[in-house]
This record gives sequence, structure tokens and C-alpha cells, in this order.
Amino acid sequence: MAVVNGARVAAEIEIAALGKVFGQGEAAFHALKNINLKIATGEFFTLLGPSGCGKTTLLRVIAGFEQPSTGALAINGRQVAGQGPNKRPVNTVFQSYALFPHMTVAQNIGFGLKMLGKPRSEIDATVAEMLRLVRMEALAERRPSEISGGQQQRVALARALAPRPRVLLLDEPLSALDLKLRKEMQGELKRLQTETGITFVFVTHDQEEALTMSDRIAVMSAGRILQLGSPDEIYNAPVDRFVADFIGETNFLTLPVAGVSGDQAHLDLPGGTSAPARLPAGLAAAPGSSVTAVIRPEQAEIAPAEGADLTAEVESATFFGTDTHLHLRLSDGQPFILRRQNRPGQPPIAPGTRLGLVLAPGALQVLRD
Amino acid sequence: MSERGAFSVTRIPGFGLIAITTFVLLYLPIVILVIFSFNEGLSQSVWEGFSLRWYEAAFANRQVRDVSIRSLWLAGVAAGLATVLATLAVLGTTRVGRFRGQTMIYALINQPLMVPEIVTGIALLIFVASIKVQTGYTGMGYLVAAHTAFCIPFAYLPIRARLETLDPALEMAAADLYASPVQAFRHITLPLMVPGILAGFMLGFVISLDTVVITEFVKSAGQDTLPTYMLGQLRRTITPEMNAIATLFLLLSLVIVTAFFLITRTRGR
Amino acid sequence: MGGNGWKWLLCAPALVVLVLAASGPLVIVAIYSFLSPGNMGGVTWEFSTEAWFRVFFRRDIFEPDLVTWNTANLAIFWRSVWLSIQTTVICAVLGFPTAWFIATRSPRSRPFWLFLITIPFWTNLLIRTFAIQEMIRNNGTINTVLLWSGLIEQPLQMLFTDFAILLGMAYVFLPLMVLPLYAAMDKMNLSLIEAGYDLYGSRGAVLWHIILPLVKPGFIAGSILVFIPAIGAYVTPRVLGGGQSLMLGNLIALQFGQGRNWPLGSALAMLMLIVVVVALVIYLRTVGRSDGERRV
Repeated sequence: MAVVNGARVAAEIEIAALGKVFGQGEAAFHALKNINLKIATGEFFTLLGPSGCGKTTLLRVIAGFEQPSTGALAINGRQVAGQGPNKRPVNTVFQSYALFPHMTVAQNIGFGLKMLGKPRSEIDATVAEMLRLVRMEALAERRPSEISGGQQQRVALARALAPRPRVLLLDEPLSALDLKLRKEMQGELKRLQTETGITFVFVTHDQEEALTMSDRIAVMSAGRILQLGSPDEIYNAPVDRFVADFIGETNFLTLPVAGVSGDQAHLDLPGGTSAPARLPAGLAAAPGSSVTAVIRPEQAEIAPAEGADLTAEVESATFFGTDTHLHLRLSDGQPFILRRQNRPGQPPIAPGTRLGLVLAPGALQVLRD
Repeated sequence: MSERGAFSVTRIPGFGLIAITTFVLLYLPIVILVIFSFNEGLSQSVWEGFSLRWYEAAFANRQVRDVSIRSLWLAGVAAGLATVLATLAVLGTTRVGRFRGQTMIYALINQPLMVPEIVTGIALLIFVASIKVQTGYTGMGYLVAAHTAFCIPFAYLPIRARLETLDPALEMAAADLYASPVQAFRHITLPLMVPGILAGFMLGFVISLDTVVITEFVKSAGQDTLPTYMLGQLRRTITPEMNAIATLFLLLSLVIVTAFFLITRTRGR
Repeated sequence: MGGNGWKWLLCAPALVVLVLAASGPLVIVAIYSFLSPGNMGGVTWEFSTEAWFRVFFRRDIFEPDLVTWNTANLAIFWRSVWLSIQTTVICAVLGFPTAWFIATRSPRSRPFWLFLITIPFWTNLLIRTFAIQEMIRNNGTINTVLLWSGLIEQPLQMLFTDFAILLGMAYVFLPLMVLPLYAAMDKMNLSLIEAGYDLYGSRGAVLWHIILPLVKPGFIAGSILVFIPAIGAYVTPRVLGGGQSLMLGNLIALQFGQGRNWPLGSALAMLMLIVVVVALVIYLRTVGRSDGERRV
């Protein structure tokens, strides 16, 4: 069983204390370190991280292209360590699509079923169904070289879905597409996942992609999972400096702890006021000590100086179209970025202006470090 | 710049002229050779009217027919064997990671490319002579072996080039889609290697047809190929019949080379 | 994975054929060069350095202790080297502009020009040599045209001269120079030339200081590719040089024909092999060095 966003559901993939080492001795490279993970059936699960963080290695371990060095891996309750990729009920959508260039679109989609020894009639029926699912009926007899990148992407999806795997693994499948097509395919992927009910494990380095599509996200760095949670948790309550920095823009503030009650801390703000902040699970912050807290640039608003949580001086402003980033200096000298929605007729704020700031309730999050 | 017109960084005065002259010089002797194969008269430099008599003479010449068939047979067998052997060797050496002895394997495979044919020729002469004494066998086996060895590096190169450009993700995808290693090889790797294998065969075929020195030293009596026959004839008074034979030979090479070009240019299909 | 055994197994059939019909016999040649000649060709199994001695020296028939240089052999050896060097230079002089011409065509027409260079490369060497013979015979095309135009009264003797061999080898081996030169030019970054002109370089300065150094690896590769078959040439000097102008290849062949001194022929063949290996070593060293330069 896996616990997903508070609910207990059946676990499709269970990974326990899994590690992967490439090379030996001095040259050994630990690509994965003590990974523990349960992915639920029907979940859209994303592995997010910069290149080299181990997310693709983890995907390849699940697919069977790499064998784990240590630990256990079960798919649908069955241990699969030692099994080759052709023995596992998972299929992969490759970053390069890896469509067979000498086969037609239909032959590509039918390949897995053919290898499973399914009868001709069943293969034909499934291929037709898959072509319909990805809206490629008209191009069934084309070769991969004769269709566009976006169409190749759909064929790769259909090919991986055709054998009805328990889990679909997607290795940065959208990275080769241009921005507009990528947005379109994001919706398409989500639709396919809902329609088929298959568990998706999605690898990406694009935080926006991860936030918009996933049920849950595991943020990875240097072979470890740093934080696991819903997109909302990952964005609004990062518990790790790397996670907070990697996803979106954020303000890091070093603040003294005034007091602790349960999973809440009260932090002293520069200027004499104090504000509540969430503590990460298991972190005991002693009153009087300093912690790092994060707050997103859009979680503060300009307010009259009296009654404001903070006061700051504007150093510069950068126009971004939908909003303007104000680069501020707090009264104790710490920098602070404030995102301000642009509206017609709104007077510009000149450098040197002193502002009052009000923080949104619950916006402050203390980091683990 | 003094010239009118656009300044081009890639222009070097005089180079175009030299290049065109080179191309003309490269083709002029061949073109003249072909033209005089159609000459009515005996001369290979004075045109006396169009005729196909030298082609008729060549086709009627039993010796020419015999050596041509022997050449084609030898080229087919040697290139075929070399292609099979080279394909296996490519699978053993390409995309498999480095291993001990790999350099030695490369050196052995490429050795026929480095060593002058005359040296290989007399080396085989010595070797074959002693085997003939021991076994009494004087068949085509020696020529087949010599030509096969000589064709291996030429067959190896295009096959290897093809396999190297093959995306390893394709075989991974096959394995992911439940193909066993044997099935993945049969359905994915092998079909995708076919253009390289065909190219390798053609190259081997052309090389075998071209090989004269090795054949000259290895052949037993009555095993003349078209090139060694021509080499022998060049000492005598030559008639345009030789031009006709050469022209047909050229045509065959041209067809194969063109096919080779077309095959190697269609990548990823 | 089962170690590397399967890799060797896959290579084994090719290696067996190569060792039996290409590399192995070379070892026999090396051994034969240290044996005594037999009466009717062949060898007798007695160790002797006489063959190697006779490659360079000659004994007086009547006074065996009187040793002089074997000027006949040395002259042929020197002619082979000198003709090969000349061939290489001619190919370079013609090949560089030709390769440049191809490299500066539009990407669409480039394959066509490359194809034009490649065709002669793959057509039979003997036929191409025959074509040259046709051109330069006493009653061949060139003489016919010259006599007809009244420029000469007697046909020029071109066949069976060093000139004929040189012409034939340059003709036959030219593509081997053009192809690596083209490959080097193809890799060259055009903006380097533009930068040269931008920094006030004249055409000559750009050619000398920028283009030539950049295509140097192509020059070296091309030179080796021309030099090695030239030094080993047998067919071209036989057809175009007749009996008069021998090269090393013909001298070797003679020892297995009428001359019948197999150990001497073997020693000469080993000498040729040594020259080739030296050329290859020079090539590998210079290529390694210029690779290092280019990485800067």
C-alpha cells in the first residue's frame, strides 16, 4: 500500500533502499543513493531534477535497462530485480522516441504485441484502437521519417501503450518539441493517462511541466530524493534549500526563532514584528537560534507602512509583462523580491521608494538545513 | 577589392580553373578509350566510323568470356564470404565497449589496406606454392581465400559505419516491447544493418574485380581473371577489342558504384 | 555478460581468413628473406643473410671479397622513392584546388562533384592505366593530335619513360589526395577565413596563414594515402614503364620470375614493407601532433 496525498491506495511500484553504482573503487559513481519510493496504481508520478540528478537512471532501473546495485524493486507486488526489460509489464517512451525507422507507424505500434505472440486479429484491433487514441489513424502506413516531431511523439506513446503495460515510463518525452506543441502534448498526456488509467512515471527537468501535470512529484538531486509531495506541497512548502531554489523563484531569509508551538515556529522579522512559519517534519528549532525561511515573491503585498509586517526600500524594478519584479532591500539589509501584478494605469514605483509589506498567512516555510 | 561583383571569402583565384582542368584530365583518357571502342577501324587514335564490331569480337572471344565469368564468380563468392565474415566481426567489435585485443583485431582487419599488393602477392605465392606441394590441390580455393581476405576491410568499413550510427535506444525499445535479444537482433538490428551490409558487399565486389596483382601471383595455370588476362594482353599489339572489354568492365563498375552511393546516402530509412 | 569471449568468437572467422591469407604469409616472407635460394626458385632451409646483403651490395664474380654497392638495386629503390614523392607532390598541387573547388560548391551540388572524383577511384586501376597508355603511345591520341596539328614531325616517345610512370601514378592516385583534403576542408569553420579577411589579411595571407594550416591534417593523410600505393606500384610501371623503367615492385616480382631468387625477392619485399611502415609511423605521429595543436 502507498500513501498518496493522504489517501491509502494500492502500490504499483515499491522501491526500497535502492542504490545504483557505476564503476568501481576510486572511479565509482553513486548514481542512486538509498531510494525509497512507493508509486500508486493510476498515479501520474513525476521525477523532477536537473540533469545528472539520477532521475533517468531510476527510470532505467524500473524499466530494466539497468540492474540496481542494492535494494529491492517490486512492480505490481512482484520482485523484478534481475529480470530483463522484456520480462517486465512496463513500457517506455524514449526521449528520442526510438521509433523503428524501417517500420510503418502501424508496425511500430503493433511491435510489442507481436513480440508477446498475440494473434494477428488482436494486434490489428489494438493498433487501430491506439491509432484512434492518439488521433493518428490517417498516418498509419507512413514511416517515422515521414511524419512530424509531434506526430512521432504520439506514435511513441501509442507504441508504449499498445501492450497495455501496468506502468508507462516517460523519459523527458516532450523536450524535443517546441513550446506550443509541448503545451498541447502536456494536455494530451494527461488525457491519455486519465483515459487509460495506467500508472505514469514521468521524468523531466522542467519544473513547470512537473507542476502542471503530476499527481505527485519527487524532486531529486545527486542521486537522492529530496522531497516527495503534491505539486502544491513542493511549490509552497519546500523543506529543502535545493527544492526551494530549483522550483520557481523564492526569497531566502535568515530569521531568528522567537518560539515554537507544534509544527509552527514564530520568527522575528526585521522591524520588530513576528510571523508564523511552518516547520518541516522532525525539525526542532530552538528559540533564539536562526533558521532559513523561504517565501515566494507573490506571497507578499504592498501595504501602508503602519501595520505592515516588513518595511523595505526599492532598489530596482524589472518589467515582465504580466507582472513586475521589485528588487527590495529589507530594513536589516536582506534582499527581497516582490512580484507585483501589472494593471493598466498603475503608477510605477521609483527606485528609492520605501514600502510596507504584508506577508500572506502561512506563506513562510522554514527549511531543514 | 579590384574585382566587381560580390567579394567571396571562399574564392581563391585560379583554383576553379585548376579544378575544372583536373576533372577534364581525369575523364578525358577514359572517354577517349570508350569512344574508340566503337571505332570501325583498327586504330585507337584515328576515327574511322562507328561500329560495334569490337564488341561482337569480344563477345565471340571464348577466352574473354571464360575470364569474365571467372572474375564475376570470384568477385561474387569472395565478396559474399567477406561480407558475412565482416558482418560478424563488426558485431563483435562495434558498440561493445573496449576490450583487450581490440587494437590487434583492428590491425589485422586493416592490414590488407596498408600492405602493398605486390608484397601480399609474393607472400601468397610463397605460401600457396608450399601448400600445393604438400596437398596437390590447385583449385580456385587459393584465389577465393586471397580475395576474401583482401575484401574484408572494404566490407567491414561501411557495415561498421552503419552500425555505429544506429541509435542504441532502438534496441532498448525493442527489449522494452518484450523482444528477446534474438528477436531484437532479427527484427531491429539486422534489418537496419542491411544497407551497410549491401554497401559492404558491393565494395568488396568492386575491389575483387579490381584486384590484379594478388591474382597474378596466386593463380594457377588456366585461372586467369579479366584483369590478369588484360594485363597479359597489354604487352601485345592491342586492338579496339580491348577498348570494348574495358568499356563493358567500366560500365559494370559504374553501376555498382552508383548503387553503392545511393544506398549509403539513404540514411535512417 | 560472460566476459569478452563472444566478441572474439564473432571476430574469429574473419581473423582466421586474414591470418591465413594476408598476415600469416608476410611472416613467411620475413623468414624466407633469411634463407638460401633453391635451384629452380623456392628456398633451401639454410640460414643466410646473403639475400639482405645482395639488396645493397654486390660481390665481384671473380673476387668474392671485392664488395661494391649494388647500384642497380639502389637506383631502382631510389627511383621508386623519388617517383613516389613526385607523384605525391603532383597530386597535392592538383588535388588542393580541386578539393577546395568541391568544398565550396553549394551543399546540394557537392555530392555530385564528390561522386565525380570517386568514380575513377572505384573503377579498375588496370583500365585507367590502359587508358593512359592509349593516350601516350607513339601512335596514341596525344601524338596523333600533335602530328596532325604540325607541332611535331616525329612522334614523341612518352611511353616506357619515367614521365609515363609519373603521369600514370598521378592519374590513378589523385582521388586519394582529393578525398582527405576535402574531408579536412569540410570540417573547417568558414568564419575563420572571414575573420582572416576581417583582420586585413590579403588573399595570399589568408591562404597561407589560415587555410593551409587548417587543412594540414588532410594534406598529411592524402600524402600518405598516395605515397604508400605509389611506392608499392607494380601494374603502372609494368604497363607504362615497360621493361626499361623498373620500380621496386617490378624488381620484387622479377625475383619470383626469371631471376628466381626467392630470398632476395623476400628481402626486397620486406624492405618495401619497412618503407611503408616508416611512412605510416610518420603519419600517425604528425596526425597525433596536429590533433593536439587543433585542440588549443
